[in-house]
Amino acid sequence: MSFLFGRRPRTNTVDLSKQAREQILKLDGPGGAAKAEELAKTLSQMKYALQGTQEAEAAPDQVHSLVMGMIQEDLLYLLAVNLHRLPFESRKDTQVIFSHVFRFRPQSASPKSEPMALSYAITNRTEVFIELCNGYDHKESATPAGTVLREVLKNEQVAAIILYHEPVEGGGVNTKGLSGIQIDAKQSGKGVFWKFFKWIDQGSFEVGADAFTTFRELLTRHKSVVAQYLGTNFDLFFDQYNNTLVKSESYVTKRQSIKLLGEILLDRANYAVMTAYVDRGEHLKICMNLLRDERKMVQYEGFHVFKVFVANPHKSIAVQKILLINRDRLLVFLKHFLEDRTEDEQFIDEREFLIKQIKNMPPTPVEPTQKPAPLGSQSR
Amino acid sequence: MASEGAANQYQVLEELGSGSFGVVYKAIDKSSGDVVAIKHIDLESSEDDIQEIQQEISVLSTCASPYVTQYRASFLRGHKLWIVMEYLGGGSCLDLVWGFTARPASRTDLLQLKPGSFNEAHIAIICRELLLGLEYLHQEGKIHRDIKAANVLLSDKGKVKLADFGVAAQLTNIKSQRNTFVGTPFWMAPEVIQQAGYDFKADIWSLGITAIELINGEPPNANVHPMKVLFLIPKAPAPRLEGNQYSKEFKDFVAQCLVKDCDRRPSAKELLRHKFIRSAGKVEALQELVERKQEWDGCRTRPSHPRFYEETLNNMKPKSEPDEWVFDTVKAPPSVAHRKSTTKRRKLSVIHANGQGVSSGVEESLKRLDLKDTPLEYSSPQSVTIKKGTVRRQPSIVQLTTPTKHRQVSSQKKPLQPDLSFGNTGSTVRVFRRVSDNSITTLVDSDASVTGSTRDENRPPMTANVTKEAVLGRRAFNKVMDPTFQELHAQTGNQEKREAISKLADAWTALDAIDPEGEYQLLKALIEKAQHDPKLASLLPTSRKVSNRDPTPQATPPSTPQRSGAKLVMAQSNPHLKSHRLRRSSVMPESDHREKLAHLPGQIVPGMEHTKQLSDVLYGRWAGALRNRWPAV
Repeated sequence: MSFLFGRRPRTNTVDLSKQAREQILKLDGPGGAAKAEELAKTLSQMKYALQGTQEAEAAPDQVHSLVMGMIQEDLLYLLAVNLHRLPFESRKDTQVIFSHVFRFRPQSASPKSEPMALSYAITNRTEVFIELCNGYDHKESATPAGTVLREVLKNEQVAAIILYHEPVEGGGVNTKGLSGIQIDAKQSGKGVFWKFFKWIDQGSFEVGADAFTTFRELLTRHKSVVAQYLGTNFDLFFDQYNNTLVKSESYVTKRQSIKLLGEILLDRANYAVMTAYVDRGEHLKICMNLLRDERKMVQYEGFHVFKVFVANPHKSIAVQKILLINRDRLLVFLKHFLEDRTEDEQFIDEREFLIKQIKNMPPTPVEPTQKPAPLGSQSR
Repeated sequence: MASEGAANQYQVLEELGSGSFGVVYKAIDKSSGDVVAIKHIDLESSEDDIQEIQQEISVLSTCASPYVTQYRASFLRGHKLWIVMEYLGGGSCLDLVWGFTARPASRTDLLQLKPGSFNEAHIAIICRELLLGLEYLHQEGKIHRDIKAANVLLSDKGKVKLADFGVAAQLTNIKSQRNTFVGTPFWMAPEVIQQAGYDFKADIWSLGITAIELINGEPPNANVHPMKVLFLIPKAPAPRLEGNQYSKEFKDFVAQCLVKDCDRRPSAKELLRHKFIRSAGKVEALQELVERKQEWDGCRTRPSHPRFYEETLNNMKPKSEPDEWVFDTVKAPPSVAHRKSTTKRRKLSVIHANGQGVSSGVEESLKRLDLKDTPLEYSSPQSVTIKKGTVRRQPSIVQLTTPTKHRQVSSQKKPLQPDLSFGNTGSTVRVFRRVSDNSITTLVDSDASVTGSTRDENRPPMTANVTKEAVLGRRAFNKVMDPTFQELHAQTGNQEKREAISKLADAWTALDAIDPEGEYQLLKALIEKAQHDPKLASLLPTSRKVSNRDPTPQATPPSTPQRSGAKLVMAQSNPHLKSHRLRRSSVMPESDHREKLAHLPGQIVPGMEHTKQLSDVLYGRWAGALRNRWPAV
């Protein structure tokens, strides 16, 4: 591919973007198949221009002009929307293109500044990220879109854009971008984030698994954003989470989501969310049923959520009632719970601790001395 | 993510072998009629993040190359993940290396036997195809990280394809590097071992080692303990092929691959221009090898019962167990439903969760609360191993009215064990654990699997053992203590003495069940004490001998019985042994008793068969011990 850098004039990289745009727009028209082939060639050229080859490094000024061209032609958006229609190799090329473009900084820029295309999309074209999420609508685009998403999700603003996305009424384009986000407003549940529940549970294995990985990234990476978000949308979120994910028929969805639930609850930043979660009797019921699931690993992951309820020094009346009604059963049950985990000392300790806690509960529910922390506030 | 229906699209046929983390079956895709290979991964027996397994799928599913095994689909069936791949009928290169001579059972045999199948011309073809595969992968930003003969599969037509992406890496940036320590020790590049950051070139090193493996039957340093090899590779000069029997080109090709400085090591693309590669012939030359091998396999007694896929009980009807948490203060009359169908149970649990649960009487609940008869036995990852046995195994020696002779000669010299340290089977090191350790070594490590499955089907897989000591302790029990007790018991005639041994064995079994770590410490202390006693020390075999045989540092029991000829005579007259010999001679020609050792995990051997395998293993062990006592035999 070295010919790209040698003989061709510099302006060619700008042409590539224009060319790609035209080819994408013609995918629907007559001769779409032929256009797809041309587009594949163009994308492959773009990839090599951005990434270089094993023999030759990419030339920074060429990359710069290519990134500029892509912004001008709105190519990032077009590629995100049409990702699933591209041929196999082009989808992978597109993934590489995205990750290079979103990382590129001009040589003159400070290494701490935001990469230019990323910063542009955050302020002016947030639909790029939304469309990347929508890549989960198709098996073909799930993996490449997901790979790009997880890279850009390292940026807190991108995470906020996806979490707080709301569809614009009438299908128009949301022009507000990042500044339009109101962190205190409750979500309608129609934004792109809420589609993840469906993608995780109903997609094919590949789609669901990838969507879950991205979902986890969204919910664990930027702690204060997430704590705020979960606080504001507590009911909507956990209703979806428990009913779609924790109770999923799919073993993988179920097991992974219980594990993630434990992680979310035990994260310091989510203290308020945790206290609110373990305050509710219904949540405890779900959790106790997990302990009796027929699959050991589901039981095990369920245990790590259950322990939070029992260890809570300020158990609500509802929680105390359930535990007390079942006290004898629980004591017998826990004694033999996963007893073949003889090497897992932490588990054994925790199990012992829970038994002690349940044993020592007062015989009738006692008004907790402390109410759960107010939601929406942060622990710090 | 549920897609139960997808499984019905496949007619699952016989088992092909156990891969690094699961059992592989041959199957037919009903919609297309294509023969496929399906890997079943039991997610319940894996503690790891399921994400790690997804990694392999995502690497595979983004590959489309004639040099890489083609991924077709994956879906969940209960708690099993099915990965559907293209079927390759020619087996792995490792099968072919020893294909016609049978893999040697021990190091001594290796010296007498020569690997038969591959000549330089074959190897040149394989290397070229592998380089094409690597060129593709590396271009895609993927590193395979586990290139070795066992992971190179051949089609019926002799096409060469890379397989097993269990530890492959996908780089997001073509220039980025990895530090993760994965691979199989003997094939690992020095920079991987040193964890100083490595890239695609690591695969080139492994290719060079594989080339040596193909011609010699084993990688360099195969006689060295795998842990020691990890120190050796970065320190020692790079391995070379030496001698007049190899062509100059071949020697140079290997030398090029095995350049210790990865910056000076050529890329796949560059190596494709090497003279050795450019003069390589067509893949059809390999087809003839594959055919010969298949014919040869066919001549041997065809397996009478190939292991066909059977849905495990777990799949068919998960143990149902009525919910009995009481979430209402009002108590309903006790429900007597003991066994409910799964679907029913599911519905119930939903109702419960909604807070209007069916509550049952306390007594009933308490009865059912006993977990012993419910979920714990639900998943037994050992089942794979169990299926392989045809000879009925006894749960414990105490219950034996007649001593089992099967394993009586097993402890001093275990012909199977060298295979592990031998290298070809050395299991792949992963950053994460998968399934149970047992399943990786299922076939090779027959000693461990036999005892393991006999004694405790309900015991958690090895992964549950947290500390290294505990793992070693349990291993020592499976490989050393238990067989030794059995052997000793079998060899002792006096009833009183036998009882005493039984008691000791029982006590030790109890210790193993409760505290494998303590067991390890005990063994260690015993050996140390014995070593320090000048007279007892002579009882202990030299440590070097031990390490050669065994892949992990492990204690040797001081209690290994001294054998005498008299005892052996008794053993030889034993009916069990006779039946072994009978079986052996009916199964295969006298001289070929070692061939079964080619049936190792990770290889796809068409028509592999369990009956024969087990008797072979037992016979092999017997023969090994015999040889050990009278080297002349």
